[in-house]
This record gives sequence, C-alpha cells and structure tokens, in this order.
Amino acid sequence: MLTVDEMENLLPEMALVLGIILAILVPNIGNATFRIPLTRIRVPIFIGGKRYKTTSDPRLPGRMSIAVFSVALFFSFFGIEGASGEIGGVIEISSFSRMMSVVFFGSLLLAAVATTYRMPARPSARAPRERDTESRAEALVAALMDNRRQVDFHLLLMMVGLGMSLMAMASNLFFMFVAIELTSLAAYVLVAFHKEEAVGGEAGAKYFIVGSVSSATGIYGMSLVYLWSGDLDFDALAAAWAAMDGLDPFAVIGVGLMLVAFGFKVSAAPFHLAAPDAYAGASSPVAGLLATASKAMGFVALFRVLIEVTMPEEGEALWFCLLALIAIVTMTWGNLAALTSENPKRMLAYSSVAHAGYMLAALAAVGSGLGDASTTKLVLIAIVFHLTILVLFKFGAFLVLGLLETEGRSHRLEDLHGLARRDPLIAGSMFIFMLSLAGVPPLSGFLSKLLMINGIINISAGTGSTTADAIVPWAETVDPVFWLAIAIVLNSALSLFYYLRLCLVMFFEEPEVSKPLRRAGHLRRTILVLAVLSVFFGIGAGAEFLLDLVETAVAAM
Amino acid sequence: MITSDPLTFITLAPIALGLTLLILPHVAPASMADYIRKIARSLSMGLALAIFAITSALFLGQIGNIDWLDIMQGDYVLQNEAVVLLDEIGVRWVVGVDALSFPMVWLTAMLIPVSMLVEWDAEKGHIFHPLILIMEGALLGVFVVLDLFVFYVFWELTLIPMFFLILVWGGAERRYASMKFFIYTFTASVLMLIGILVMYFNTGDASLAGSLTGHHFDLVSMTAQAAGGGLIAGEGLRHFVWILLLIGFATKMPSVPVHTWLPDAHVQAPTAGSMLLAGVMLKMGAYGFLRVAVTIFPESTVVFIPLLIVLGMVSLVYGAIVCMGQTNLKRMVAYSSVSHMGLIFLGIATMQPLGIAGALFMMFAHGIISPLLFAVAGSFKHHYHTLEIGSMRGIAHHSPWLAGHMMIGWMASLGLPLLAGFVAEVAVLIAFWMTFGWLVLLPALTLIITAVYYLTSMQKTIFEGGDPHVGILPESLHGEEPRDITWHENAGMFVLVAFTVLFGILPFFFWDMMSDWSTEFMLETLVDAMNSKGVKP
Repeated sequence: MLTVDEMENLLPEMALVLGIILAILVPNIGNATFRIPLTRIRVPIFIGGKRYKTTSDPRLPGRMSIAVFSVALFFSFFGIEGASGEIGGVIEISSFSRMMSVVFFGSLLLAAVATTYRMPARPSARAPRERDTESRAEALVAALMDNRRQVDFHLLLMMVGLGMSLMAMASNLFFMFVAIELTSLAAYVLVAFHKEEAVGGEAGAKYFIVGSVSSATGIYGMSLVYLWSGDLDFDALAAAWAAMDGLDPFAVIGVGLMLVAFGFKVSAAPFHLAAPDAYAGASSPVAGLLATASKAMGFVALFRVLIEVTMPEEGEALWFCLLALIAIVTMTWGNLAALTSENPKRMLAYSSVAHAGYMLAALAAVGSGLGDASTTKLVLIAIVFHLTILVLFKFGAFLVLGLLETEGRSHRLEDLHGLARRDPLIAGSMFIFMLSLAGVPPLSGFLSKLLMINGIINISAGTGSTTADAIVPWAETVDPVFWLAIAIVLNSALSLFYYLRLCLVMFFEEPEVSKPLRRAGHLRRTILVLAVLSVFFGIGAGAEFLLDLVETAVAAM
Repeated sequence: MITSDPLTFITLAPIALGLTLLILPHVAPASMADYIRKIARSLSMGLALAIFAITSALFLGQIGNIDWLDIMQGDYVLQNEAVVLLDEIGVRWVVGVDALSFPMVWLTAMLIPVSMLVEWDAEKGHIFHPLILIMEGALLGVFVVLDLFVFYVFWELTLIPMFFLILVWGGAERRYASMKFFIYTFTASVLMLIGILVMYFNTGDASLAGSLTGHHFDLVSMTAQAAGGGLIAGEGLRHFVWILLLIGFATKMPSVPVHTWLPDAHVQAPTAGSMLLAGVMLKMGAYGFLRVAVTIFPESTVVFIPLLIVLGMVSLVYGAIVCMGQTNLKRMVAYSSVSHMGLIFLGIATMQPLGIAGALFMMFAHGIISPLLFAVAGSFKHHYHTLEIGSMRGIAHHSPWLAGHMMIGWMASLGLPLLAGFVAEVAVLIAFWMTFGWLVLLPALTLIITAVYYLTSMQKTIFEGGDPHVGILPESLHGEEPRDITWHENAGMFVLVAFTVLFGILPFFFWDMMSDWSTEFMLETLVDAMNSKGVKP
C-alpha cells in the first residue's frame, strides 16, 4: 500500500485515476444498465431506470477531462521544484519527470479543450428534418443528446495521460514499456476515432499495424537486453553497459531493436512512414497530441536508453554515427516531403518529422563524446525546451486546423484560402505559429533552435583548425559533429518555404466560403492564448522563466 | 523616460500606441470602439509630430553641437542603461545614436508625419494611420538599437506594416506585388540572419555573454572584438559572412540584380507606403551595410571593392537606362531610386572620407527627395487616375501646385545645384575621381541619362499640350475637369520641398556630422584594413 508521502508525490496520477473511474461510472448514474466503456455491452444492475439529464449531457465528459487535466497540470507544475521520491523500485519521481508531465498534460488539456465543440454523438448524427416522423425525430434528438462517444474519447485521453506520465517516471525498462503500451493502445483508438471521414479508420489501422510491429520489435529488443544483463533497472543496465567487455551481441542488438520502437514514437526516418497518414486521418486535436506529447514521450525513452544507459564516460558512443545519419535523413526527408504536400495536415505532419530530425541531431551531437557535462546539459536543455514549446505552436497550428474542421474539412490547402479575411485574429495566430515553427526571431521557435545549434557548435568547438584562412581547409579539420548544425540551419531555411506558403494562401487567395469563421468560443480563445505565449516564451521574462524551469528539470536527469 | 532615454521612447511609444489603436476597437464596447476609430488618426498624427519635435529638439539642443571628430568609433551618444532581455542567450536592449544613424532617425521622424499628412484622407484611416505609426517604431528601432538580435527583430518587423499597406491599400496588382516584396526581402534577411548567427557564435566577451550559450549579440562589443582581430578567425569565413550580410542589405537597398521587387512594390503601394519605402526602408539597407558589414569586416570590404563598384555601377547605369523606357510615372521614379542607390555603393567603394560622406548625404537627400517624387506621382494617380506618361499633357494649367512640386522634385532628383541631391552627387563624384581618375566619366555621364528621362517625362506631363489653355486630359477622367491637389497633399509636399531647398543651400547641418564621422571611420577602421590588404589609401 502506498504511504501518504508517496500518494502526495503521485497526486497528478491520482487525479487521472480518479478521473478515469468517474468517467466510467458517472455517465451511467440513474441507468438500469451499466455500459462497459468502448463497447456496446450493457450489464444489467437492476437499480434505476433512465439516465439523468446531467449524466447524459454531451458536454459532461469534456468538462470532466478538462478539470482532471487542469488539476494534474497544476500539481505537476508546482511539483517541478524539488520533486523527488521513489516508489516500488520502478517509479522515480524527479523534476525531469514532472517537467515532462507538464508537457504531456498541457497538450492533453489542449486536446480536451479542442474536442468539446466538434464531436457529434455519433459520426452520422444529424438534426431532425421536417419530413421526419415524430418518433424518428425523437430518436435523432436522443442520439444527439447522448454522451457515450464523448465519454469514450475522453476516457482514452486520460489513459494516454496516465501512461505518458508513468512512462516519464519509470526507472525500469520493463515498466517503461508497459506505460508506453498503455499510451500506444489508447492512441491507436484515438486515431481511429475520427469516423466522420473515411480516412479515419484507415489511418487508425495503419497506425496500429506499424505501431504494434515496432512495439513488438522493441519488446523483443528488451528481452535480448534482459538475457544479457538479467536486470532491467536503468541504473543496473548502465552499470552493466559500462562494465561490458567488448561488445556483447545481445546488448547491442537489443538496444538497436529498442531504437526502432522509439524511432517510431518520435517519427524518425525511416520509421515515420505511418505518421503522415495517421496525422492526416486523425482529428486535428489527436494529430496535435501525436505531434507533441507522443513525440516528447519518444524522446524521454531515447534519453533513458541513449544518455543514461549506453553513453560511455568518455569517447564516442556506439550509436553516434547511426543517430547522426538518421537525424539528417529525417529532417531532410521531412522537409522535402512537406514542400510537396498539398494537405495542411500532412504538411504539419512532415514538419513534425523534420523537427524530430533537429532534436535527434542535437542528441546525436552528445553521442560524439567530444563535449563535457556542461555542453551535454546544454543540449538536453535545448531539446527539452523545444519539446515544451512545441506544445504551444505545433499544437496551436493543429488547433487552427481543428477550428476549420468544425465547419467541414481541413484537408486541402484551399480550406485555408483567405482565412485572413474571414478571421484576421486566427490568421494572425497561424502566422505566428508558422514563423515560430520556422524559427524566426523573436519567437520561441527561434530560441530553441538557437540553443540546439549552439549546443552542437559548443560540442564541436576546438576541433576546427584556427590557422586555416579559407573555408575549405578549415572544414576539413572540423569534427563531423559541426555539420549537424549546418544541416539544421540549411533545413530550417528550406522549411521556410512551406511555412510561408501556408501563410501566403491565408492572406492572398480568395476564400472559397466568404462567411466569417465559426466563433467556437474557447477553442478560439485557446488559439489566441497560444499565439501570445509563443511570443512570450521567446524573449524576455517568459523565456527566462521557462528556461530556468527546464534547467532544473534537466539537472535532475 | 522622454528626457532620460528619448531613443527608447521614440522607438517603443509608436509601436505601443499603434497596436493599441488597432486592437482596442476589437475588444472595447461598441460605442467606445467607434470613438477610438474616430480619434485614431489624430492620435497617430499627434504622436508622430511629438516624435518629430523630440528628435528635432535633440538635434538642436545636443546632437548638432557635438564635435564628431572627438567621438571615437564605437561610441554612441544618448546610450541607455542596457536592459537584459534574455540573459540565457545574451540579448540586451541597448540603444544609441551616432552621426551615421542620427540623420536617419531625424529623417524617419520627419517623413512619418508628412506621409500621414499626404494620405490624411486615406480609406480606413483608423487602420492606415496606426499601421504607419507601427512602421515608424520599427524603422526607428532599426536605426537606434545596438544589439543584433533586436536589430533583426525590428528589421523583420518593418515588413509587416508595409506588407499590409501594400496588400490592403495597394493598386490592382497588389497581391502579386506584396507577395513578391515579402518573399524577396524575407529570404534575403534569412541569409543575413545566418551571417549574424555565425558572428554570434564567435563572440566571446564574458561580461555580456548569455548564461547558457556563452555568446552575445552586442554590436558594440562585436565591433571592438573585430577591431582586435578576434571575431572570426578564418579569413575565408569572414568573407563568407560578409557576402551573406551583403545579400541581406543589398536586397533591401536594392541593388541590381536583386532589385526586381522594388518597381512592383512601389507601383502598387499607396502613396504613403511608397514614400516610406523609398524614403527610409531603402536606407535601412545602406545603413545596415555600413553599420554591420563594413564596420565589422573592413578587410573584406576592401577585398570586395571591385564587387561594390560593379554592383554600384550596374545599378546606376542599368537603372537609368531602364528609366528611359518607362511609360509609368511611378515605375520610372522607382527605377530612379535603384539608380541613385547605386551611387551609395560607389561612394563607399571610393574609400575616401569625402566619398563615404557623400554616400551618407545621398541616403539623407534621397530620403527627402524620393518621397516628394512619390507624393507627386501619388497625387497624379489620385486626381487623374492614371500614371501613364504622355496620356496627360499640359497639367500645369489644371494643377499648378502639383506641377510646381513636380518640377522642384524632378530637378532635385536629377541633381540641380542648390537642391539637396546635388551636394551628394558632387561629393561622390569628386571622391570617385580622386580614387579612380577618369573612370569617373562613367557615373558622371549617366547623370545625363538621368536628366534626359526626368526632363522628357516632365515636359510630356506638365508642359506640352495640344491646346495651350486646356492641355490633354487622360481618358481615365472620363471628360471630367480635374481639380488641383488637396490642401493636405499640398502641405505635405511643401514641407518636403522646403527641406530639399534648405539642405541644398545649407547642407552643413547634417553634412558636417557626416563628414566628421566618415573621417573618423576612415582613420580608425578602413585605413588599417587597406594597409593590411596593400591597397593604397
């Protein structure tokens, strides 16, 4: 049984568990049958009759999940400073895990807010027409007033949150995989939840198949690692790795196979192929979730395995060349594919692949072994900071597409045409999101990119010849790590084209529908707040505050 | 704040007021929103005039009395207490002016109220005038900040109001023009940003450095470090960065071959937009080139003197020749800007104090004259609904005021003595002769082409007509009788004419500080670089 101290440490997770239980129970109150979530199976409980109006309210699940995520976000945020604790030998609470929880809960909260407006009770639900018979009309209204589908959706969101939060705290490889699986299974269903369009189911199936294959590969890798070390605790694994004499095939192959699973999570090439389909098929809030929280989760796993376990005390890590190659291929592939994409969602998906490439490049630089503890910390700060602020502008961009989805589709570039005329503030926000993604000063996207490039350059510092007076001889002497920074710069310049293209159609093209955009109250407000925050965390007090927080978190790793 | 730190005030106040006036009507209750819309125009004008008063008072009270030969390179007056904006990466809010930037600051502060006045009756004035106010803050910011991060932010910020001025108030092809304008200048400035970042990663002043990165964006410290020979070790890399910066600045200036956005943007932009574009935004390029590229990398500049001469000469000659072929008044004036900007590169390439001072005065004089030209062209568009040269003749009969302003503007631009443009051209040409000898004939003879296109266009427009009492009215008027220009257009142009004449007859107000600054700049920065490269000073 958990002690009081431990429960206090786990308050955000407690809130989620409580939320899940309530989400299962509350909508059934008053009913004579108890519905098993996510199914049509009803278990008779012989008490009660019809559900109350409040418990069948379609708005109820959304409100519940917003409340739960707010509470969890609140507790994690104020738990960052001085969080420490260990539970059951598999959970280790630190400032780092709490910081990552803030990222997860932040994006889940956004997903919950964004979904409240746009989810019909059934994919085909519609308002009754005049020619409908009375009983038919009643049935239609009853279907609209049902909240079963919303309950399922928000239940899945909470499960994703629980899994992610536990994953960040895991100090044991096995426990980490279990948490990742909890998240992944819920995420597969969330992707397939978008049944309003035919592509939704297809996207879910693709994402499920590729995802489960990569998970299976990862688990197989984990089993090989277990065969090698006999222990799955990170500390023990790190010690065993450091003590390893030569290279043990079990260990190396095991870690390599695990990288496949995590590579899928962060959508690194060549494991990213399902990502654009999944993002394009899922509803925008879910796509935003995959692009921010799910990616952050993948990076946490990479930190654990690459930095904590397999990073040698000195010298080059085994994975350096491989990861550097993957990073460059990922960012270039992502940007080139985004350039040719005509679907804003796919474009954002590929841009998210490119961003994974930037972060992988920074991570790979650590593996070169040229840096010391302080430069490594700098790179990690840059990556965690980037993961944090991606929630602002990446999710913000998906929310703008979500706002467009409330009145139809956002699958073509044409849907964005003339947005500036239909809603100047939303178009302005989208402009800020795009510039931030591209990394234009003074927006937060620039700050994180600058920190990553700076980290890489600091690591490669001192390798270039100081006497060479032309570029070419100097370039021959500098360590290959330096070229990772150049790759990021060139790719950022390349990415400007598609980000700006998206902006240009908002301002220059005639809108297809000339009526103003639907004013979906708090979705709209959320977008505006995110746009302001994208600037606020880019320069001045906001950026300093967030960087301090990230620094604390990384110091605890 | 106005007295203790005037530069911060004149930079941030217009942006703050402009944004407030734009956003407040969207959030305030309806009656109040209407009231705000009503007073937006007057409030913008009020602040713009106040800023003009402040900068003029600064000039008369303090800056005009400084002996600039005593001010060392890298020293700035009116410098504020630095405010740390982002300690982690070393960004600070530092402002200051010297004899290079102050004339530009004064010019901006003078042009903004004038351009507001000329378009006093613009449609949607409650948006138009606050946008110009934001533009003012961004432009002043570019000239006063001494931190390259903030400099870059203001540099990009100038794009946004100008982009909307063209897109919303522009002519028929405004979409194409504003898109071209945005893409050209934005892409170029991204290359410039890469150059700035390379410089950033080589800075090493520990007292300013960011706590996470160990580098800083401070321009003054970078300049000092570069003068000590320690900013970027490899010479090849220095040249590379210099080229990146040149691309960024030359596109703004603009110089051939990256000038093609300018004619489109000018022709489509509203009058006030054109005035600011030609008057100040083009000068940003020349200012940034001198302030960053030449000051920090003097040796690269010396090495690339031939490139500067080619760029300057081609811009000058090509611009002038293209002008002769134009049938659109505004397009002709736009190409004449390209041509005149070529002289700035030539002035810098002479590596003489006189040439550099001439280039500086060219920036200043062109900043007064070309807005006058665009105001005239804008009035033609406004009252005659056409800009075709030759479709209207004998306009002096219908619009005597407009014809008068046109004459003075055109004459000033072709370099008539006693008008501001003459001083600059003569200075550059003399310096060019001192350095390159008889090569001076090439730019000097180009001035004949300039005279040809200006005089023909003037003759075809305001003088010559079938019937001397009626002239020929363009078809776009549909037979209606045109009226002379409105009082506010007239007043705005009057101010510009007055300054053109003033600085033509008494150029020393600003010429002295420019010439002193150039001498100091030569002695402290360029002579060493020329010696080390074996170029005869």
